[in-house]
Amino acid sequence: MSAALHTHPAAGPELSAAGGPTGAGKARRTVSEADVRGRWWRLALILAITVVVLVPIFVVVVLAFTPATTSTSTGLTFENFSNVFAKTLASTWLKNSLITTLSTVIVSVAVAAPAGYVLSRGRSKAVSGYSLLLFVMQSLPIITSVVPLFLLFANMGLVDNLLGLTIIYVASTMTVATWMMAAYFDSIPVSLEEASWIDGCSVFGSFTKVVLRNSLPGVLSTAIFAFLLAWNDYLVAIVFLRSNEIFTLPMGVQSFFQQNATDWGSVMALAVVMMLPPIIVFAALNKYFSVGGIGGSLAGR
Amino acid sequence: MTTTTPSRGLARARRGLAPGGGGKPGADGGLNRRSRLASQATRTFFWLLLPSVFLLILIHGYPLVYAGVQATHDGSLIDTGNFVGLDNFANVLGAPAFWKAAQFTLVFTIVGVFGSWLVGMGLALLLRTRIPAGGFFKVLLLLPWVVPIVVSSTAWNWLVATPDSPIPAMSRALGLGTPLFLANPTLAAVMVCAFKVWVSFPFMMMMTSSALSSVDGTVYEAASMDGASRWQQFTGITLPLIARSTYISWILMTIFCVNDFPTIYLLTGGGPVDATTSLVVLAYRRVFQDFQTGPGVAIAFLMTITLVVISAVLYRQIRKSSVE
Repeated sequence: MSAALHTHPAAGPELSAAGGPTGAGKARRTVSEADVRGRWWRLALILAITVVVLVPIFVVVVLAFTPATTSTSTGLTFENFSNVFAKTLASTWLKNSLITTLSTVIVSVAVAAPAGYVLSRGRSKAVSGYSLLLFVMQSLPIITSVVPLFLLFANMGLVDNLLGLTIIYVASTMTVATWMMAAYFDSIPVSLEEASWIDGCSVFGSFTKVVLRNSLPGVLSTAIFAFLLAWNDYLVAIVFLRSNEIFTLPMGVQSFFQQNATDWGSVMALAVVMMLPPIIVFAALNKYFSVGGIGGSLAGR
Repeated sequence: MTTTTPSRGLARARRGLAPGGGGKPGADGGLNRRSRLASQATRTFFWLLLPSVFLLILIHGYPLVYAGVQATHDGSLIDTGNFVGLDNFANVLGAPAFWKAAQFTLVFTIVGVFGSWLVGMGLALLLRTRIPAGGFFKVLLLLPWVVPIVVSSTAWNWLVATPDSPIPAMSRALGLGTPLFLANPTLAAVMVCAFKVWVSFPFMMMMTSSALSSVDGTVYEAASMDGASRWQQFTGITLPLIARSTYISWILMTIFCVNDFPTIYLLTGGGPVDATTSLVVLAYRRVFQDFQTGPGVAIAFLMTITLVVISAVLYRQIRKSSVE
């Protein structure tokens, strides 16, 4: 990716001007000794930085596989994992987290995609006003709405309830998700839709059959964003979840710290379980997602 | 939704469309078909937007209005109590705790924004040059941002919390004494800020990377032929070209920092002696630990006003630059 931008300062312009495509190709391949040395220095530097930065993550993984001091086993072990799932509500917490997060992702995309389509294609005061409203809402501190929502949800029986949690997650992802979808839809030419109208498609039909069908990267990017937010949230969970068996994973991991002696092996085993899904999602779908995309979608409209 | 007659004029008709407001039927003389399609689009837009509007009113609008009610009443979470006007705001603003928290929030935000920007931009620039397996490092360096805060705060806690934790123990072994990172007010504040930078720099790295990728490499060739040094190229070309994206990422990061709860709360709980209590943590404590809903919501409101101003300024700025 960056290789294409890196041109040889000394040789680049003359060669490409004189020799055409072959000349330019040769210039890219001619790497001076200083450049090679520079590359290894940079590699060493980035390697060192990466190792230091990842220390806290190594710690989690290593401790998760280290046997407890009371244990008879030595070396690396899966004991902590079996312990934490056998002796605590870990499997319930995992299930709760999965249910909440997946519902959030699905509903969030289902709400944001149509709204993003209107934001992208609609040209009126009402639409741009709504887009401004969404932008302002995404910057509000969630703590402001959490208190009134706590009262509202208490009356509706939605406190200590996964549905209540999901509703709040959907709403808090929706604002940015809508902007992300709208920015993606902007890149899909209206002429594609016009063709479908000629074929007798309705506006809604062209949205689902033409625009949405061509928007897989945009949808995935929005879905990953919603996934990370719902999976990682702590503030809403700590306010709305009361009982152990309703806890999501963040609350579960955190609940270990209220006991007197922290059982680090179990905490870290559960922490590994908790960080795996986002890492897997990211590793698999990385190419569809860029953090810059979020900023870009907020900026690009 | 409804089936329709196709028309080449639809796109043009929709351009002048006001959802919910109608598309001036018949304004174009005999073009009934176009106006019919326009009103169909209007209706479709209305239904497509409805779930979003409903959620916005229920989960953002209603609570904001009700928060206004709570902020002007005494009473607790269960009972709203009596109307007290702006007393809560006056009490909050008169309390040293608020100003201490505001001060920490300011420090936390400044360090969070510029610390993560400097680290993130530095790494983005480094990764832009040719490095073996550069893409792999890019993904690895994203991990602090991807790993849940609950997990990473647990790890940081394990590394520094007690005198026997690895980092204090290492410092003791080096003869530098045993720093109590989470018990000493200054060190705790430093720790929280460092943790925030650790969590946030990947965001800045990605923002900078995507801005850099749109910069045309040939301008550097021209500059280096004119004898510009690396540093001159950076300040003279790179920075101005990525300025807009940088500006946006600063403001977004400001919003993230001011609103941040878990990074601080999970590492220090706001302590020791309130040294790391930010405004969000203070508001949370007032409402859910001291059961003073009014003052807590008043604090949240003051933050809201600040952030709305920042947001509005950002929005106008972005609008202005995208019109150009």
